[in-house]
Amino acid sequence: MEAVLKNLADTVELLAVAALCGVVEQWDTRTVSRAFHWARYCERLFNRFQDNAEVRKLMEKQIQLTNESLRAALPGYTEVSILDLSMCQQHLLVGLLSNPKLPSSIMKTLFDNNSSPAEVRCGVNPDVTGLCSFIIQCKSACQVLSPLTDSSAVGADAEVQADMLMERLGVLMSQRSGANRIEYFLDSVLQGCEGATEHFCLMIAAALLTRRNSAAESASQDVLLDWLQKRQNTLQHMCSALATALLMDLAKEHLKFRDSFCDVLKSWASDMEYNISEGEWVQRSTHPRVSFQKLTEHFHALFETCPCLRNEVGTELNALKISDGDFDVRGLSVWGDLLSALNR
Amino acid sequence: MTKPLLNVQDMQIWLDKVVAWGQTDSPDTQKDTSLHLKKLSSYLRELLTHINNTSSTSETMKTLPSIGQFLGRLCWNPYVTADGNRSLLFQCLWGLFSEHPTNAVERKANQWIRKVLCQLTTEEDVVAQALMKSMGIPPEEYHVKVLKKVLCSCDSVRATSEACVPLVACPEAAPLIDALLQRPVNCVRAPLSQEFLDAVSSAYSSQDLSLEEQSVLSLWYHSLPSLEKAVLNLLESVFTNSGSTPQKMEEQVAQSLLLKACAQHCSIFLVVNDIFRNFLKQVEANECVKSLIQTFTSCFLREVALMQPQVSLILRSFFPQSSQSLLVPLLTLPSDEFFTLHEALLLNIVISLLFCRRQHKVFEAWFLLVQCAHWIQVTVQLLGTSGCEDCGPLLWLLTFYHHPTNRGHNRVHVKEVWDHLRSLFSISAHPFPVDYLQSLVTMLSPQPQQPSASPLLILSLLVNFAVFSQQSLSGSTRILQTVRKHQPIL
Repeated sequence: MEAVLKNLADTVELLAVAALCGVVEQWDTRTVSRAFHWARYCERLFNRFQDNAEVRKLMEKQIQLTNESLRAALPGYTEVSILDLSMCQQHLLVGLLSNPKLPSSIMKTLFDNNSSPAEVRCGVNPDVTGLCSFIIQCKSACQVLSPLTDSSAVGADAEVQADMLMERLGVLMSQRSGANRIEYFLDSVLQGCEGATEHFCLMIAAALLTRRNSAAESASQDVLLDWLQKRQNTLQHMCSALATALLMDLAKEHLKFRDSFCDVLKSWASDMEYNISEGEWVQRSTHPRVSFQKLTEHFHALFETCPCLRNEVGTELNALKISDGDFDVRGLSVWGDLLSALNR
Repeated sequence: MTKPLLNVQDMQIWLDKVVAWGQTDSPDTQKDTSLHLKKLSSYLRELLTHINNTSSTSETMKTLPSIGQFLGRLCWNPYVTADGNRSLLFQCLWGLFSEHPTNAVERKANQWIRKVLCQLTTEEDVVAQALMKSMGIPPEEYHVKVLKKVLCSCDSVRATSEACVPLVACPEAAPLIDALLQRPVNCVRAPLSQEFLDAVSSAYSSQDLSLEEQSVLSLWYHSLPSLEKAVLNLLESVFTNSGSTPQKMEEQVAQSLLLKACAQHCSIFLVVNDIFRNFLKQVEANECVKSLIQTFTSCFLREVALMQPQVSLILRSFFPQSSQSLLVPLLTLPSDEFFTLHEALLLNIVISLLFCRRQHKVFEAWFLLVQCAHWIQVTVQLLGTSGCEDCGPLLWLLTFYHHPTNRGHNRVHVKEVWDHLRSLFSISAHPFPVDYLQSLVTMLSPQPQQPSASPLLILSLLVNFAVFSQQSLSGSTRILQTVRKHQPIL
């Protein structure tokens, strides 16, 4: 273990040197290849031990120590965390590219077009020739092709991200990790996606809609649904941001989601007040803001998708209307107006 | 003195074009960009020559002040960066990079070039970044995954494949048809249209269309009828040459693309096997079919071993209906090196077969034995060796192979035949007693109503005794000659 921790410390130092030190001026392609080799080693360390609390603690402590000494030695040093290890190669690449002392010959190698992408991809060749060019090509190709893809779907990137999410959930479940660890993982992804909540919702939808080939995959989706129920903000965001067709797919696929969706709609309705000057029901809270018309559309779609809900929810809405005084005058009870809009 | 190779007006025209491309993302813009890519690359080539012929970056900036803006905009145009132009674009940027900057302009240009390239490579959307971090997936792997997914969900694939239906026999369209067929086979979103597959399948089988090898495999993968046709063709060609030797049959099978298809796609192997299985049931123990299945399986195993180094790990999925304890010994190939272990392995096989029989899985077990009949050859060889003592399990195995149902209590007869042959081949005094030879001849010509052992079984035992027993060469020859005289068809 001591040797592993030593290697870890060395690689963290290597990352700092690659990003901040003038010594990279003397690096050649082989040095860079070796640096990537070590970065890959650290990624494997992380993957291997991230779920082993004891080793993880040791690694965290080591990183902390290295961080401290590096902070003292290198001005402008940004600390790395254990999570950064999972993307060690990317960290290294960003560091190198932003280091003004990196020789242009190495830059040219990284952006070389003539190496076969297959070699880079398979990792057979530890050579980093053309790595950047390959990444740029892939990204560009996706952009070029995206107008040709099925526009009703969630999008290829969200689907791939969903696959990744499900895979990780599968691993966590197979290790019999407690609910805490799984929630911690999902929360950390959610946190990382701050500012891109809409896309996050798309990814969650894609994950819930992936075809279940095994009981384990169904269990993962179940865990995801449970987590979503506890994160009402995210759930509400999902219900307001996603296209109706997608929401209906989810409602068809998952009973739990159908019920949560129905509850969200009811909570939105109860939160509405009648704006006399506009002659319209509007939501009091601003986040997320849903119009009365949108609310009716959602209910309509839900009843069409799940006809059994029509009577059940209809009775419920009627009871709420009665408790509001059972008036048939517009603007007095949101439930009454909702019912008449739905029966129109 | 460098003379300007490029005029400033051209740069301005191109810059206007690139700015216009960047402003809207309409299909027209996309089309216009695609149409101009070739001209753009010749312009970039000229530009590169110009940059390389100019003494310094400051000098270039003086003659072409908007070069930075032009190249920078190109960097953010995916049509350009997805295309071969990417290389020329990078070369132009490197041409502007000064190894030893002498003034502020050059230093600034250097910084800018590094920044643009760094951004181009490392900019990621937030969700992707968060997930890559939580999952430890490197960006290049992530982007390849997304690209594959995008390729699979292109709406136009289905439309194009539909449009190609009338074109399948048109030689000019063949590259497009190949390209459509060779898309990753696991695309479920935008499958090729069934009409297209049917049209390609019939054009291919009537030889109106020639396809690349990989396209044929893909066609079989996508279209069950075309796969069935291919298997039936193989069966037919083997049957029309029913007089051929095992070597010829092996040659014929080895040439079939079906082997490669089976090794690449487990699902194809399962279908082919199903056809074999049904065929075997229909024609009952037809020796020709049995030996075709054996040959096919052994060629297939060789092909898989060539493709996948860790064969044992994946083979299980190719034989989902077979029990593991039977699969492991049967799929082992007999070798001279481990000859002494053969008897133990065979005993293992017998035990597993008996177990399968108790589990009422006789047919599957027997089918696997037919596929791996090289072990039957080892069995008769061992039975023909005079040293073989406890031969009960071996005789059981041989009988099971030839008479899986044991309807006519064949096992008893096989034992009789073997006892008889053993004593015949151990006689050292010549000439042989006439009644010994006579009863051998009788055994080989079975009475229609009476249960007996298959003549083929007896013959294989006879040949192996002749080769491997301690009987003298002249003695063996005499026995075989007698049999031939009375049984000329053999």
